[in-house]
Amino acid sequence: MSVDVNAIEMRQSYASQTARRYAMIAIVTGLLALSFFFDVATGPGNYPLSTVFEVFADPMSHGVRLKVIVWDYRLPVAVTAVLVGALLAVAGAQMQTILNNPLAEPFTLGVSAAASFGASLAIVLGISIIPAVGHLLVTANAFVFALATCGFILFATRLKGVGSETMILFGIAVFFTFSALLALMQYMASEDQIARIVFWMMGSLSRASWEKIGLGTVLLCIAIPFSLYRTWPMTALRMGEATAESMGVDVARLRVEMLICVSLLAATAVSFVGTVGFVGLVGPHIARLLVGEDQRYFVPLSALVGALVLSLTSLISKSITPGVIYPIGIITSLIGVPVFVSIILSTRRERLS
Amino acid sequence: MTLDITNLRAGYGKTEILHDVSVRNVEPATFVGLIGPNASGKSTLFKTIAGLLKPTAGHITIGGEDITHLRRKDRAQRVAYMPQAYGCNALLTVFESVLLALKQTTGWRVNSDNLDRVSETLSALGLSHLANRGIADLSGGQAQMIAVAQTIVRAPEVILLDEPTSALDLHHQLSIMTSIRNEMDRKKPVIIAALHDLNLAAKFCDRLILLREGVILADGQPGEILALPEIGETYRVKADLERTSKGALYVDARLA
Repeated sequence: MSVDVNAIEMRQSYASQTARRYAMIAIVTGLLALSFFFDVATGPGNYPLSTVFEVFADPMSHGVRLKVIVWDYRLPVAVTAVLVGALLAVAGAQMQTILNNPLAEPFTLGVSAAASFGASLAIVLGISIIPAVGHLLVTANAFVFALATCGFILFATRLKGVGSETMILFGIAVFFTFSALLALMQYMASEDQIARIVFWMMGSLSRASWEKIGLGTVLLCIAIPFSLYRTWPMTALRMGEATAESMGVDVARLRVEMLICVSLLAATAVSFVGTVGFVGLVGPHIARLLVGEDQRYFVPLSALVGALVLSLTSLISKSITPGVIYPIGIITSLIGVPVFVSIILSTRRERLS
Repeated sequence: MTLDITNLRAGYGKTEILHDVSVRNVEPATFVGLIGPNASGKSTLFKTIAGLLKPTAGHITIGGEDITHLRRKDRAQRVAYMPQAYGCNALLTVFESVLLALKQTTGWRVNSDNLDRVSETLSALGLSHLANRGIADLSGGQAQMIAVAQTIVRAPEVILLDEPTSALDLHHQLSIMTSIRNEMDRKKPVIIAALHDLNLAAKFCDRLILLREGVILADGQPGEILALPEIGETYRVKADLERTSKGALYVDARLA
């Protein structure tokens, strides 16, 4: 019977599609591992790959000096790149789904600008929102402001008649407000403080530390299962709000839950490394082109692509001029954006032909 | 299971749309056509039955069990509602989009039974050739047929279809209505479809309900309902019910 043949064919092509998706995840994981290793191996001191690898496996194999370089300087930076890339990309992916807008990400929604203002407040006035944070003052302030902005977005989505375009407009409004406040801070700041603010805003991995990594990992370990548990309702949301609701999804509640989760991720990432635009945009976009929008594959792959992009950025930032580490925020925008645009244009051509 | 709606009132904010709506004793494997002009409350009635809108008064029961207090997810398993067609730009295949409709109520993991159900549904509706197409690339009519597939794949006890044929050409109107009826004969759900085309309603429905301004004006067999003078009044046309030489009902309507 022809119906049965069709059914078998459909199942076979679904199975091969699933296999392709796992393959994509495996490939990107492999590339990430490679990029991570080269990131650790690259740096001002030109040590051979084999030496770095040996120190990696046994910290004391080449003496204290190399242990400190690899384990205390390079590894935290490399791990932070992977972690923050993943955090930003997952935050971007979920925001895009919840707000039904492909432009949504921590940067475009004003979260980064708010974090910058929080950081500058700490740098210039030494004002702390959370008392007794000590050396984490700047990070803590950035975190609080980023989280507050996410709270504002959450509040705005609950207002009646606020569409997804309006959300981006809100983001731009937030962006300009905090930019103005930031300019005010810079106006009041001393030369040294201005330098610190500007450096903070460029985004840098050099602020990496094992305690921040620990915190970020814990968050990611909570957020990924939390998101995976909601993959089916989130995929349904991609069919449109009305359709998702008709399938039994409590859309309003789903939005609030996911935004709270994503806010923590975005605020953490931004407060760790400063302004790194674009990773929250490019991670999900590339993942979408590779595996579509079944969230079971889309969310993990977004995390992996985001991690890969920032890990490569970290590698490039050290490789351009020997001995100089450029701020990653500059690299992601200068090199990443043209690459990203060319990807978008080439896939568009494919779809048209 | 029999569907009963008793003294239902519902609306948005302070505006009441449905005034004391009762539909008695809708037997399993009955195809009910919900007819009435635009803004008569058809979609509101569907949303209230589906649980997307809380009624201010009244009861909805399936097999004697009141479903108004069921959790949204549990309710969606028993009552499947297809809203009016909307565009969608998601990067999902047709197969995935039908699978995700099924997965809302059937646990996290995709098992072999889930895949069988999706393929069977697509085959039954004659849509298997679209299985690997992206839903964003479908025509309006194809998207509407996929929405029907998303509804019936869940094998619910009550299926609510809001204008399932509005974007379809004549061939596809007949084909989708025939497929829905075949599905009904196999699985015995109650089906209620909002229809604008009275001749299509006459051809496929077992029972017609005429709704105007949130009140049920008439409820009965198609031949009986379409012959009522209220049809012409409600739609503001002159309508005569005729029978073709082959015995089919035919509503001849002109502007009044």
